[in-house]
Amino acid sequence: MPRHDPVPLSEVDLADIDGFANLRGFAQLDTLRAEDPVHWNDEPEPNSGFWSVTRYDDIWAVDRDPETFTSEQFVNLEEVSEEDREVRRSMLETDGTRHLALRRLIQREFTPRNLMNNYEGFLRDLTRRTIEEAFEKAADNNGEIDFVEEISADFPINVLARLLDVPEEDTAQLIAWGNEFVGNTDPDFAKVLADTPESDAYSHLPFRSPTVFEVWDYGADLRNKRVGGNGTDLVSILANKLPDDGVPLSEKDFNMYFTLLVIAGNETTRHAISNVMLGLIEQRDQMRKLQEDPSLVPHAVEEFLRYASPVYHFRRTATRDVILRDKEIKEGDKIVMWFASGNRDDSVFEDPYTLDVTRKNVDHMTFGKGSPHLCLGNNLARMEIRLMFEELLPRLNDIELVGDVKRVRSNFVNGIKAFPVRIDTN
Amino acid sequence: MGYLTKASTVQPVEHELELVVAQKRTMATDVVELTLRAPDGGELPEWHPGAHIDLVISDDLVRQYSLCGDPEDRSCYRVAVLREPASRGGSAAVHEQLAEGDRLVVRGPRNNFHLVSGDSYIFIGGGIGITPLIPMLKAVDAAGATWELHYGGRTEASMAYLEELRARGEQVSIVPQDQLGILDLPTILGEPKGGVHVYTCGPEPLLAAVEAQCETWPMGALHLERFSPKELDPDLVDNEFEVELASSGEVITVPADQSLFVALREAGVDVLGSCLEGTCGTCETSVLEGEVDHRDSILNAAEQAANDCMMVCVSRAKSAKLVLDL
Repeated sequence: MPRHDPVPLSEVDLADIDGFANLRGFAQLDTLRAEDPVHWNDEPEPNSGFWSVTRYDDIWAVDRDPETFTSEQFVNLEEVSEEDREVRRSMLETDGTRHLALRRLIQREFTPRNLMNNYEGFLRDLTRRTIEEAFEKAADNNGEIDFVEEISADFPINVLARLLDVPEEDTAQLIAWGNEFVGNTDPDFAKVLADTPESDAYSHLPFRSPTVFEVWDYGADLRNKRVGGNGTDLVSILANKLPDDGVPLSEKDFNMYFTLLVIAGNETTRHAISNVMLGLIEQRDQMRKLQEDPSLVPHAVEEFLRYASPVYHFRRTATRDVILRDKEIKEGDKIVMWFASGNRDDSVFEDPYTLDVTRKNVDHMTFGKGSPHLCLGNNLARMEIRLMFEELLPRLNDIELVGDVKRVRSNFVNGIKAFPVRIDTN
Repeated sequence: MGYLTKASTVQPVEHELELVVAQKRTMATDVVELTLRAPDGGELPEWHPGAHIDLVISDDLVRQYSLCGDPEDRSCYRVAVLREPASRGGSAAVHEQLAEGDRLVVRGPRNNFHLVSGDSYIFIGGGIGITPLIPMLKAVDAAGATWELHYGGRTEASMAYLEELRARGEQVSIVPQDQLGILDLPTILGEPKGGVHVYTCGPEPLLAAVEAQCETWPMGALHLERFSPKELDPDLVDNEFEVELASSGEVITVPADQSLFVALREAGVDVLGSCLEGTCGTCETSVLEGEVDHRDSILNAAEQAANDCMMVCVSRAKSAKLVLDL
């Protein structure tokens, strides 16, 4: 993948969102891994700074130890007041038995076997339809389309719409909501930017976004219709199943769960697919290998996930004073696990910036590593990515980049907003 | 390569403090309470209910005691020490030799018995096991939660802190065995309740009885602290076994000292894995034949009994051979 020039340690500032533009985020992470793997990063007021953990084995150590590194004080760089935390807390910011009980409600829906049995057929059809429609558009426009807009943007949310069993005509609305939340520091997506003072008025709302009320109303309506029913979709399960800690899902628990599903299943998979496509365009030999032997795709999915690293980081907070490497971390300090950096650690992945579809044993940290918060939808994401490239690559004769790659302004998601391609189909 | 990498180690910052025994009082038959302060009267490291400290009685004699004072009062630590009849020297030395004004090395505080936040609690203390529960019930009371304490002991005279606990009213039930018999666990824990946390500390027979009584309670309701480790299941030995891969018919031998996951990887099999400790579910693999020895934390009892899938990072085989859908 193209690389940004090296960034000297004195210029590293991972709190500066604009400092992530043009792949400079990865260059900063390279510097930290090499020179200061557990690094203190000051932040402007009112935030208090954070530790950046950038090596694979250190990230693993933090992620697998929720007693020492809690999620309960929230999981992004933003410091949320105690009062707001209670209002905004979802499963992501809950630890311990309640977290496990909430997670278990739908965890078994996401096992490879259940996904394959229940959704693979539907998903393959959806993938084909998405690709065919994109190709038709391209045919009307000299072979040119925007890859994100026509292929990766709406595919994951369409999958989720099926899992939630929402009416087809509502999916456009779900997509818009998802964009607004996760892209909340990008002016193309959000009405109110989360890193500006205007958003303070919404600090008590998830994603600091007033749009969340619309999502909650919508979710509550779905739930009310399904209470007491016997549907097998995720909303029906959440409406009817008792968590195994014996405490029913409150209205707030449901709202938060629903919002989480709408977002988490949308943005990240989209960016993974976009990053992989771009990587394959940049490393054509890898694309050719997969086109010549599509049976390599299932194996390549893990390398795709490592390479794409759609989520830069998640944050934890120390519950006690500990030492990691040579640094003393104090109780209450924020610790940021830079998963994208662990995925570029050359002590684990040789030649980490190369996309190598035949790489063996790719134990990436794209979904987290050893954490009780490991991405709940990891197998769904794997399946979506596999189906997309199994269906897309054999139909492509060639694909080339014909304009600028526009990236999301964020130090949280490694996202691509747009990249125009010219495709030549078989 | 990744599966050979290990997570790094996070070291707790250990406080080692030399403290002065500011007060030593007898609280009950064979129970003394020590109040420990910094020699300069300074602030001591912070702690939360459930925490314990190590008292370094001599170089090779270190004992753990629960903190039973007030976490808000950073000027002192309080511990209560029972003279154990079978004492290997620790509690006897505290009772007989340690005097007010003596200095003592203390390590910690550490906490393996965290108080989780909630709305409702049942505390069950046996004998000296009352100590960690005292700061807990004060904390939940101050937070406005509902709670009850059931405190059992041999005789009233042997039970420490009775007066201050009785003063807390009807939520506290004091059960000296010589007058009222043993704690009536079937009644106390009879009806499993959602959202109630059960905290217990005391002698092993009490802990085992509470555990048995809580089997039908929701997952995670029971919190207990053991000072002596639970005996490991003697049946849990790692045996060598074979796995057959259904797609190729290849048979791989898994030695007793190797996980199935590592054996598969070393044989060049494409198997996913992430946490490698049975918690994340990434390595779930379908089982076609053979009986699994489940050791993961993901599948519930029914799912384990179904015997149709397994987490290959930690689980093994009860039968000599497994056939996996790989």
